[in-house]
Amino acid sequence: MTMTKSRVLLIDDDKWLAELFAATLRQEGFSVAMAHEGLEGMEAINKQPPDVLVLDLMMPGPNGLVLLHELQSHADLADIPVVLCTNSASDIQKKHIASYGVRRVLDKTTMEPQDIVAAVKGCV
Amino acid sequence: MEGSSKRLNNDGGVLVNAPLFVAAAHELKSPLALVRQLSLGIESGVLTGPEVERLARQITLTSERALRLTTNLTRSARLEDSLFALEPLNPASLCKEVLEEITPLYKARGRAITFSGRKRRLLGVANRDLLRRIVMNFVDNALHYGGSDSPVVISTTTLAGGSRIRLGVRDYGPAVPASSAKDTGRVPHLLHARPESSGLGVYIARQFAEAMNATIGTTRHRDGATFYVEISASTQMRLL
Repeated sequence: MTMTKSRVLLIDDDKWLAELFAATLRQEGFSVAMAHEGLEGMEAINKQPPDVLVLDLMMPGPNGLVLLHELQSHADLADIPVVLCTNSASDIQKKHIASYGVRRVLDKTTMEPQDIVAAVKGCV
Repeated sequence: MEGSSKRLNNDGGVLVNAPLFVAAAHELKSPLALVRQLSLGIESGVLTGPEVERLARQITLTSERALRLTTNLTRSARLEDSLFALEPLNPASLCKEVLEEITPLYKARGRAITFSGRKRRLLGVANRDLLRRIVMNFVDNALHYGGSDSPVVISTTTLAGGSRIRLGVRDYGPAVPASSAKDTGRVPHLLHARPESSGLGVYIARQFAEAMNATIGTTRHRDGATFYVEISASTQMRLL
């Protein structure tokens, strides 16, 4: 019997950072897909809902919060665990995002590479 | 620049009337955080030689972007003490210089940028350094906030019967909100080039433009925006 890799969707408009995070997660055995803007991310979720969503907040077009709203409006997508990964972690009011399935908030300005692995592992 | 300290509103991530230093911090945080993560990636020791080279190049390009911003901020703060000499210049040549400088960053990001200008030679009047910084600012913003893989286009056009020259940067990202498009460069607070941007770049561009009697503005498109700066055409051209 083969173990199925957990699927992570990484949505971040910074492609370099997304590629770096994706490489780190792949080394830990995750299957990683990437999207670089909100609409592209929503299409990827609709196509194949991930086991964990790693989401940036500030992006061109629909940003991370809009995407979180959208996920909550679909019963089949509302339970996807979300790891927010943002430069603005200190500005986020936890009470505002608690109801959006956000399990962890990572601060890009202080996080270590393994933090994203630990956060994703904590969701699967 | 006095204003609220609200940083995240309901739409997420919009700096509204934030003090200049907050906006500057916001704009610098992104490249600095990226440089740190790329450095940590190199330090991890698991990357191959070519991967390390790629990350090192990304660090260089990201640092240069951050340095451009800090230089612009310094220049912006000293505008009132300075007199900026205006000179006749060829806007198309200046756009091509910007194109040459920014192309490596665009390429590294997997994006394209082109120049589209008139065949007839144009001659404008502006401060070369400030005009260059404005156009560079626009192409930098188009890269980071445009959000589309379509090429960005720098262009030069004449207006008002040839008395004005417009240097525009057209991107194909999300549309600029109507309020921002209407106000760009005209109200004395931070303007939002893009909803996720602090608007600092546009604010600085406006200051640079005013220092040399130029104007900046935005044209909204369904699939993006054109940020432009308008300068006076040189009368010397008519004498030729």
